[in-house]
Amino acid sequence: MTAPDYITSPVFADASELDAVTLEIILSGLRSVADETYIALMKSAFSTNIKERNDHSTALIDPKGRMISLCERSQPIHLSSMLGLTGALLRKYPLDAFRPGDVFISNDPYVADGSHLPDVNFSMPVFVDGKLLCFMCNIAHHADIGGMAPGSMSGGMTEIYQEGLRIPPVRLLTDYRVNEDIFDLVLLNARVPEERRGDYNAQIAACRLGERRIHELAERHGISALEQAFEQILARTYTRMTDAISQIPPGRYVFEDVMDDDGFGAMNIPIRLAVTVGDPAHEGRIQCDFEGSNPMVRGNINVPFRALQSSVVYAMRALLDPNIPSNQGMLDAIEIEAPEGSMLRAAFPAAVAGRANTCQRVIDVVLGALAPALPDKAVGAANGANTMVVFSGRDPETGKDYVYLETVGGGFGGRAAKDGKDGVQVHLINTSNLPVEAIETEYPLLVESYEFVENSGGAGMYRGGLGLRRTIRPVGHTAVFTGQGERFLNAPWGVFGGAEGGKGGFFLDSDAGRQPMDTKPGLTGVSPEQAVTVETAGAGGYGAPEQRDALAIEGDRTSGKYTADYLRAHYPQVKEA
Amino acid sequence: MSWTLGIDVGGTFTDLCAHNPDEGRTCYHKRPSTPHNPSQAILAGIMELCEKFGLDPMAFDRIAHGTTVATNALIENKGGRVSLIVTKGFRDLLEIGRQVRPEIYDLQKDFPMPLVPRERRFEVTERITRGGRIVTPLGAEEIARVVTEVAASKPDAVAVCLLFSHLDPSHEQALGAALKAAMPGVPVSLSSEVRPEFREYERLSTTVLNACLQPVLDAYLESLETGVRDLAGETPLGINQSSGGLITAARAREFPIRTALSGPAAGVAGAVHELKAAGEPAAISLDIGGTSSDVALIWEYQTRTVNERWVEGYPVRMPSVDIDAIGAGGGSIAWVDSDGLLKVGPQSAGAFPGPACYDRGGDLPTVSDANVILGRLSSRGLLAGDMPMRRDLAEAVVTDLAEKIGLSHIWTALGIIDIAVVNMVRGIRAISVEKGYDPRNLTLIAYGGAGPLHASAVARALSIPRVVVPPHPGILCAQGLIVADQLEHFVRPLHCALDASLPDRLMPAWAVLSAEADGWFTSQEVRTEGRVIRARLDMRYAGQNFEIPVAFDPEAPFDLGALRDAFSEAHRQTYGFDNKTAEIEVTSVQLAASGRHNAAARFGMLEAGEGGVPDPFERRDVWFDRSGAVDTPVYDRTGFQAGQEIAGPAIIEQLDTTTVLFPGDHARVTEDASLIIEIDQ
Repeated sequence: MTAPDYITSPVFADASELDAVTLEIILSGLRSVADETYIALMKSAFSTNIKERNDHSTALIDPKGRMISLCERSQPIHLSSMLGLTGALLRKYPLDAFRPGDVFISNDPYVADGSHLPDVNFSMPVFVDGKLLCFMCNIAHHADIGGMAPGSMSGGMTEIYQEGLRIPPVRLLTDYRVNEDIFDLVLLNARVPEERRGDYNAQIAACRLGERRIHELAERHGISALEQAFEQILARTYTRMTDAISQIPPGRYVFEDVMDDDGFGAMNIPIRLAVTVGDPAHEGRIQCDFEGSNPMVRGNINVPFRALQSSVVYAMRALLDPNIPSNQGMLDAIEIEAPEGSMLRAAFPAAVAGRANTCQRVIDVVLGALAPALPDKAVGAANGANTMVVFSGRDPETGKDYVYLETVGGGFGGRAAKDGKDGVQVHLINTSNLPVEAIETEYPLLVESYEFVENSGGAGMYRGGLGLRRTIRPVGHTAVFTGQGERFLNAPWGVFGGAEGGKGGFFLDSDAGRQPMDTKPGLTGVSPEQAVTVETAGAGGYGAPEQRDALAIEGDRTSGKYTADYLRAHYPQVKEA
Repeated sequence: MSWTLGIDVGGTFTDLCAHNPDEGRTCYHKRPSTPHNPSQAILAGIMELCEKFGLDPMAFDRIAHGTTVATNALIENKGGRVSLIVTKGFRDLLEIGRQVRPEIYDLQKDFPMPLVPRERRFEVTERITRGGRIVTPLGAEEIARVVTEVAASKPDAVAVCLLFSHLDPSHEQALGAALKAAMPGVPVSLSSEVRPEFREYERLSTTVLNACLQPVLDAYLESLETGVRDLAGETPLGINQSSGGLITAARAREFPIRTALSGPAAGVAGAVHELKAAGEPAAISLDIGGTSSDVALIWEYQTRTVNERWVEGYPVRMPSVDIDAIGAGGGSIAWVDSDGLLKVGPQSAGAFPGPACYDRGGDLPTVSDANVILGRLSSRGLLAGDMPMRRDLAEAVVTDLAEKIGLSHIWTALGIIDIAVVNMVRGIRAISVEKGYDPRNLTLIAYGGAGPLHASAVARALSIPRVVVPPHPGILCAQGLIVADQLEHFVRPLHCALDASLPDRLMPAWAVLSAEADGWFTSQEVRTEGRVIRARLDMRYAGQNFEIPVAFDPEAPFDLGALRDAFSEAHRQTYGFDNKTAEIEVTSVQLAASGRHNAAARFGMLEAGEGGVPDPFERRDVWFDRSGAVDTPVYDRTGFQAGQEIAGPAIIEQLDTTTVLFPGDHARVTEDASLIIEIDQ
């Protein structure tokens, strides 16, 4: 590996270099394009998933396939798959094959470098004075993309074909006109096609707004200044990132954690990482090598390489420089290796819909590896999962079929100077919950509780955050429940002596009592006399419990977040009452 | 009619504006605020104003007040001790919120902890679900139990928010009655009264904030009302609410959360009034202060209303004038990021220590420092001259910065301004996409101390052709209070399809709303000719989660097609497309009632002069771009006559602001004393 060419052989001579003011103004314009397309997509989409949960992202990528500007509100896991589609296009077509008015669509992890099928990528080449300047890209998580189960996210599948429609990179628009043949094909293969149509239209509109904005920018600054700015932004960000990396003491840092299971019998599946810093051959870049991680599994928790890259990049940015722009300069400073065909670099035809669980664990592993090197920034292991709850059935009042899907947050790890946050989405995931009043209005379900799980944040000088508990009961019908849980068997670890947090679990409640369910329950009938309770994992603590402040322990007691028994058992300074 | 008094209390200054339409007189006064007890500055200000202009305090007919007391209480965490009652199983809802983090990449940053700690959040066994159906009734014993527990927690105020109370408030009402009986004098906020709206967390958060502010506003308004009564007799005191209308002090004490964004709303009302005088119905208002800029869209002389806001990290569901804040102002600090690029803001030097040129110990370069270096701001300071600007101090801090990026201090100062303008422009563009308008078709109205200083550059970058600078840009909020309508919204949920059956649901709901509005007009002593009622339906395509308001005429015969078309049009305006075949849902009906006062007020009448060009009182070198300093005439605005014209480059100074005309700009003085600047594109 060598330094990227914008470092080793700058395209533009010093004489034409843009100054720190002009560059900032152009950069602001580029950010503006990404931001405005993001807002346009959010405001015009049809589905809750985009409008309310903002499960979408936008970016500007150059004709060399390099990320130039990513909307800051983007979902971190979407970062690399936008690069993936554009990269696949650049491999598939020569540059002169692109035309103004082309809009490409794809979602496939294997032929289009996507990350899972519900994430549908759009990419539109933008021309200025007949020259290809960049691609306007966006990605949106669609609530359904076909396949065996509603929502296209369920477990129980072992190959990509079962998970939904695979879309290779194809033109959805030619000369600004929708190719209706392809649109019909794509729409027919998803549930709720009208919602899909609305969301796809929103994605197209976002591309076109981006094109207009780029034209305006080019008019103001000129194409040559923009191209120079691309190079310089990447070079400056690369240097900023390698500077940040140089704060880590040189060395090799290893860490290991396990996934609970894949739903098909593989248990305690290891993720292994060695991070190397300061190897002179790598000129300031950081290496993350996942050698020794488990091979692909049958269940859907395999991770395509682009999703692995998004996860590692998230962890590095959060640890080293939360305000650094996520452009190619930053990506190029992080080298990632994972064995082909391993769970972290899935190969065709592995199932990948549930990759977010594994991605969350990858982040815990990166943070765990670098904890000894960066004690002020380290955090205890978080909930580290993307715990999913799905209810489906027929609404007895309306006679309509429904699918309710939600992911439930958990504990955030204890930190160097404060407790971990209770009951929150962690790391890659930051999507809102659905209001209880929305759930009950739209679905024949009763949410009986939504609260913290007591004692689930690991003790420590700064304790881990608490997990969440949600109990849901079908109303007037028997619903079908499926779920995916992680950290239900292996607890989130603490750091520097902090205790581990509580594990999660699914439970079936009835008059007969509470029955534990599998970590990844398949289709399970639930009658109105029964309820499903999900508890998510808490998080690990930071530092030895002996060092916890007496007032903080008192707060743990008076808030009722911890029982007296727990406090006595974990804090030696708590005297017997 | 005699005098109306507007009082705007900001963090630094308390502004007063008194207006008498019969005499055509308007008087202004500005004095330092007294943040520890804001009513002190108000009462002193009233006396000073009366003395200065020879007015009798007993002659005020109405007093209109915009206040930041509520916001400041939240910022300083000085709200009351609140206890909360929620549905069983949801004690943690207030703390969980929407289960998200404020900044995804920041491992250290959290939303603020809830204003009610867990030990004062009490669960009550009861349950209502969809359609307002009661699953578990609320029993008398359960009420007695929870009220006893709440009373034992010794709260200053109590909030109650139960699930689905927006559809059936009976459980909340029963608890409210029991709480008031058990704890006389302790204010109770019921979510079904504060904001009876779908989405429990936002309703809960709003209700808790309201409860938290009740003791604070109670104390403040009590002391203010007493003081005003002593000074000005029994003059009605109207409090400006965030949605831009005046409510009675009694109502503000009941619903203090409605005043959380009181001040900026008054500024926009003032801007709308000036736009009417200038004949500009469609505009962007830009209020540039020290730390931030407030931006709002005005369309056909109307502002939009937004229903959700974040106040100090807490969501508030409450109508407010749709104003967006951008983190760029005169005090914004310039710095060099770790990748070597020049950045401006969002950190601000604020009023203290302020920009380096203020000579109050500020040692970081700010936008104001750059303006002084470039000659756009006079080193004399504003015209009154009581606060000179130290150009040498500004040059010293900007030169330090210039060395880091390898540019001259002049180019760096130009860069600071350009980047601050670009930040404002980026904010305005994002907002314009979100709201669905094109800035090129609008006029810019600039106010706040630094608005007219940057308006020309902002307008140019947005391809806006025209800028309006009102006569007193620094006191526009107080002036806006004079013309503020008394306003109230009434809402009923509907949740039904837009089809022929709608009138069966709509008409009874509308009758209830109309009766409520009539009662309100009477209680507010609004005369019949000043009563205005507007009706709207909140609609969305089935499956969407955001509603679009569509106006309708409740007197006209029901016209399904027209409503569909109006919604399609609004959807196209907002989102760029519509879907003729999709099912449309009506989620609620709203009635906006307003009582008009001083609608025809004219604040800045000028003698018609002979036109021509006013005489500059000095000339100085001003930098507009990198090509060099331009010898620029400087005018005193107080001497302007209607019909005069000024060609840029020019600097126009007055007591409360400085207006910059770029080369090629062309300003005209109107008979209402506004400047209308045609921007050279």
